[in-house]
Amino acid sequence: MTQTTEIIADYQLDMTGESCPYPSVATLETMLTLETGEVLEVLSDCAQSIHNIPADIKNFGYQLLNIIQEGSDIRFYIRK
Amino acid sequence: MQWSQLKQTLFIRYWQPTLPVIAAGILAALFFGLTGALWAVTGEFTRWGGHLLQLVGIEAETWPYFQIIGLKGTPLDRIGGMIIIGMFLGALIAALWASNVKLRMPQHKRRIAQALIGGIIAGIGARLAMGCNLAAMFAGIPQFSLHAWLFTIATAVGSYLGVKCCLLPMFRVPIKLKKLNRQPATSTPKPANKSQFGTGMLLLAALLLTAVGIYIQLPKLAIALLFGALFGLLIERAQICFTSAFRDLWLMGRTHMANALILGMAVSAIGVLLFVELGAVQKLQWAGPNTLIGGLLFGFGIVLAGGCETGWMYRAMEGQVHFWWVGLGNIIGATLLAYCWPVVAPLATQWPKVNLLDQFGHIGGLIVTLTLLASTLLLINLWHKRFFKRIPV
Repeated sequence: MTQTTEIIADYQLDMTGESCPYPSVATLETMLTLETGEVLEVLSDCAQSIHNIPADIKNFGYQLLNIIQEGSDIRFYIRK
Repeated sequence: MQWSQLKQTLFIRYWQPTLPVIAAGILAALFFGLTGALWAVTGEFTRWGGHLLQLVGIEAETWPYFQIIGLKGTPLDRIGGMIIIGMFLGALIAALWASNVKLRMPQHKRRIAQALIGGIIAGIGARLAMGCNLAAMFAGIPQFSLHAWLFTIATAVGSYLGVKCCLLPMFRVPIKLKKLNRQPATSTPKPANKSQFGTGMLLLAALLLTAVGIYIQLPKLAIALLFGALFGLLIERAQICFTSAFRDLWLMGRTHMANALILGMAVSAIGVLLFVELGAVQKLQWAGPNTLIGGLLFGFGIVLAGGCETGWMYRAMEGQVHFWWVGLGNIIGATLLAYCWPVVAPLATQWPKVNLLDQFGHIGGLIVTLTLLASTLLLINLWHKRFFKRIPV
């Protein structure tokens, strides 16, 4: 989870305005549709997803590449 | 460590929840020792509902429910009122530190309905059980009151039903997924939010000065304000979500919040027992069907709403408008229950207030409580294993 040079996301999932549990539910549903190796960027402004999404990503066997927290916005980069 | 790093770690990046939950458990025990009161919020919110009715000429103070929980003075005269004000301010300060205060409007009408209805159901349930996830769980179990265990078990069942309901198609909205054509993710820089850190620090200074001012005349109210602020800081900074502890067990097999709460309660129970040995009087409630029904409703309501009585408070301060509706729902639900109390009272008042310290002795009561907590921890983690056995990873 280091701040590597550049993460290229293939898809962006915008969950701003939605509160828990929906950001995490939609993230996992979307991951199912990705090809192995593809990267999803998830946008959330539900602060609680800072705990939920990383834990669920790990539990379901995906790789969390990075989290960027800026003000109320959180971006997650997840590789299948 | 440089200041900018320290600032990131302490004030901007969210904290992992386990240690803050344990700190909240210690603070809750200490607060009980200093004031004789519990970390609790819904009783006071019910009083706020009563005050609103008084404003429009309804004599709520004559209702039997308010005879039990009291409706004298204003929130500023009561420990419960000062805790809530402190919590709101503490959560606001914590959110400001991270520049995380921003109006976030619900994107769908169905979410507003969900928030309001879930909030009302949770409000009714909490007051029927004489407490929410605080007085009837996080602060209640460490009081060695059997009712808190009944409430917690029923809440777990209710939250399971809530999860089933939340995933119904009527509560799902279309997913906004965009193909990015392999653009670098960093290619869409947004103008940085204006820093709110200084405002947060100013508010903290004002809060501390006010608390000192109050302390000279009314020490207990000042303590309530300060502890409330500390609780508010902790739940926002660490995003301590009691709803998630229940809901995400069923939904995602995720256990870290539930584990943290159990550790927090274990530490708190030891602290409370020390104060009881020193002469503090426990807060006990009826262990009747009211707690079971209340817990069921509460568990269902908090999952539907997306947050419990503490969860909506810090999210409302962050500017998540969804949770303003949850809060309004809670107050409506709690006040409704207070109005209907004469009908449902036999479910509660005809049952004993069971004190585990009387049943098993002081050390025995502590051992029973810690054993029950440890068993819950074990069950939760067995559930986690079973959950991911079913899902091929």
